[in-house]
Amino acid sequence: MTEILSSQVVSGLATGCVYALIALGFVLIFKATDVVNFAQGEFVMVSGFISYTLLIGLGIHYGLVLLATIVLSGVMGVVLERVVVRPIMDAPIFSIVIATIGASIVLRSSAGILYGYDVLPLPTIFSKDPIRVGFVQFTAMDAGVIGFSLVIMVALYLFFKLTRTGTAMRATAQSQTAARLMGVSVTRIFSLTWAISAAIGGVAGVLIAPIIYLDPNLGFIGVKAFAGAILGGFGSIPGAIVGGMLLGVIENLSGYFFNAGIKQVSTYILLILVLVIRPAGLFGAAPIRKV
Amino acid sequence: MKRLLTIVGLLVLLGGVAVCAAEDGVTDKEVVIGAGLDLTGAVANWGVNIKAGMDAVFSRVNAAGGVHGRKIRLIAYDHVYQPPKAVTNAKRLVERDKIFVMMGHLGTPTTKAVMDYLQDKQVPNIFPATLASIWTNSGKYHVGDLATYADQTGLIVDYLVKERKIRKIASFYQDDEYGLDGHLAGKARLKHTHDLAYVAEVDYKRADIDFSSQAAKLKESGADAVIVQAVYREPPRLAEQCHAIGYNPVFIGPSPIVVAKTIELGGKHVEGLMGVEVYPLPTDPGAFLDQYRADMAKYAPSLPIDTTNLYGYQKAAVFVEAMQRAGRNLTRDSVLKAIESIKDWDPGWGLKYGYGGDNRRGMSNAGRLVTVKDGKWIKVGDWMELKEVGRK
Repeated sequence: MTEILSSQVVSGLATGCVYALIALGFVLIFKATDVVNFAQGEFVMVSGFISYTLLIGLGIHYGLVLLATIVLSGVMGVVLERVVVRPIMDAPIFSIVIATIGASIVLRSSAGILYGYDVLPLPTIFSKDPIRVGFVQFTAMDAGVIGFSLVIMVALYLFFKLTRTGTAMRATAQSQTAARLMGVSVTRIFSLTWAISAAIGGVAGVLIAPIIYLDPNLGFIGVKAFAGAILGGFGSIPGAIVGGMLLGVIENLSGYFFNAGIKQVSTYILLILVLVIRPAGLFGAAPIRKV
Repeated sequence: MKRLLTIVGLLVLLGGVAVCAAEDGVTDKEVVIGAGLDLTGAVANWGVNIKAGMDAVFSRVNAAGGVHGRKIRLIAYDHVYQPPKAVTNAKRLVERDKIFVMMGHLGTPTTKAVMDYLQDKQVPNIFPATLASIWTNSGKYHVGDLATYADQTGLIVDYLVKERKIRKIASFYQDDEYGLDGHLAGKARLKHTHDLAYVAEVDYKRADIDFSSQAAKLKESGADAVIVQAVYREPPRLAEQCHAIGYNPVFIGPSPIVVAKTIELGGKHVEGLMGVEVYPLPTDPGAFLDQYRADMAKYAPSLPIDTTNLYGYQKAAVFVEAMQRAGRNLTRDSVLKAIESIKDWDPGWGLKYGYGGDNRRGMSNAGRLVTVKDGKWIKVGDWMELKEVGRK
């Protein structure tokens, strides 16, 4: 029983880490620009196809593919911001959100036209054979996904805490006007934020596509990650990470204790419960309004 | 004047009657056939290939002048394996495109969603691309073709219990009309014939792709064999996740898992996976299969030969045979009667088609076991007539 439960938790954490990465992408863009980017899931899907093309089509070494995918995903984020978001930056937020939904549909359909709608297996360097540590059983794949995600998260933390650009990004998130007055180029920060978010989505894609297979509908995983971000408190970076991981574990455990139907809705039941008890999410700060 | 009006009125009425008498979708030069398929969703591999297989037959027939002077035109819409979209598409096909019959409609839940509608409109539902037993026992407007999931599961259960001496059998099934057909039939077969019961019954939802909790439950049940009432994405993923927790039962399932895609996705994790085949493999010998391979090379050169497109191909071939038999006077009734007249007909691959009768509106009940060996599907048993297995 404990043996099975612990494997459930580990494999849930692996999926949860991927949710967390995607949720991070949502939160970073939201914090910096107040936009909820519904094309975040599509970054995951597109990066999957990029690495598929590089690996299978061009036969490039896995390490290089990983690096190239992250860079190309970042570029895609910048392009998307320039082409779709920036021209309508002064429009109401709602219009921008709709524009990101439009972008996601375009990306999804383009992938379908280029690659077809069939599922494709994406190779990975992590083995799916079982490993045993004490009584916990998991795969190298699980461990790899968790490890790699943690590295990315720590790197991001250090970037925001220690670098000048990171500080400028945090400043912009707090007050665009003040940041501008301090000599921060806010438009450059916006581009950078989109690049980082898309690159993190790219990492998530390379990690998750070998597990749940690659197809143009892969981006719908973004919906679950979005729920994870809200669970943690939308706008909170630790919240996105904890929310995403929690989601992965809860999904697995509810599937184990109940059935597939409950597993499917468990995310949303939990989400509603959390929002009823703590409207700002687990880590979100309650909004303070001056009267 | 009044007389003239009466005559005109009568003519209009007669004209109206004459127009009504001609069937929708049939003109002197053309027959329009409709299909609802999944071209972009969770079982798109089946949908795209079934369409290509049917198109290959129709293209060859049309190039040779059509059937009794009528060219066949197939209109296919994408329902994304979602029942509500299947209904919209069926209405569009019947009411706007005026199809003659629905053919090769893909998916059990999606075809069940349009079942009543087609019946109300009296549009025959010919050889839907679902082998659920419901199509063989739902009356005049539905005709299935090959051995049903229920009957296939009967074969699976008998094989596991009698030949492999396995008594701990679990069921992993898609929680809808598709998965339930084989799941319930297997349960009935275990109980009535072998006095056994499933040691675990574990479900999943259409388009789910994470089965770690299902794998855990199956492992805990201690089942030595798991019957997978699934399509091609699930068996590799389930096998992977079972192997990840050190659990290696026999995996075996009905015909929808017997496709090359299952092996492409699963790699070494699906070695030893077993399935039921209800028509020959695309690489088998036979005049009909030679023609199939030639037609696919000519009309769908981008697709490799595969059980999926062969499935659509054989449906279209049997349907063309029925239209030949129906003659020049093509109506929905005449084509249904022609299908019912097919007995002991072999298109040239050793598998005989014969209408089963009003209690079993299907064309073949043959099946055999296959398995994955060295990354290929190979046969392990010989063809046999499957016994009919009820769901109760």
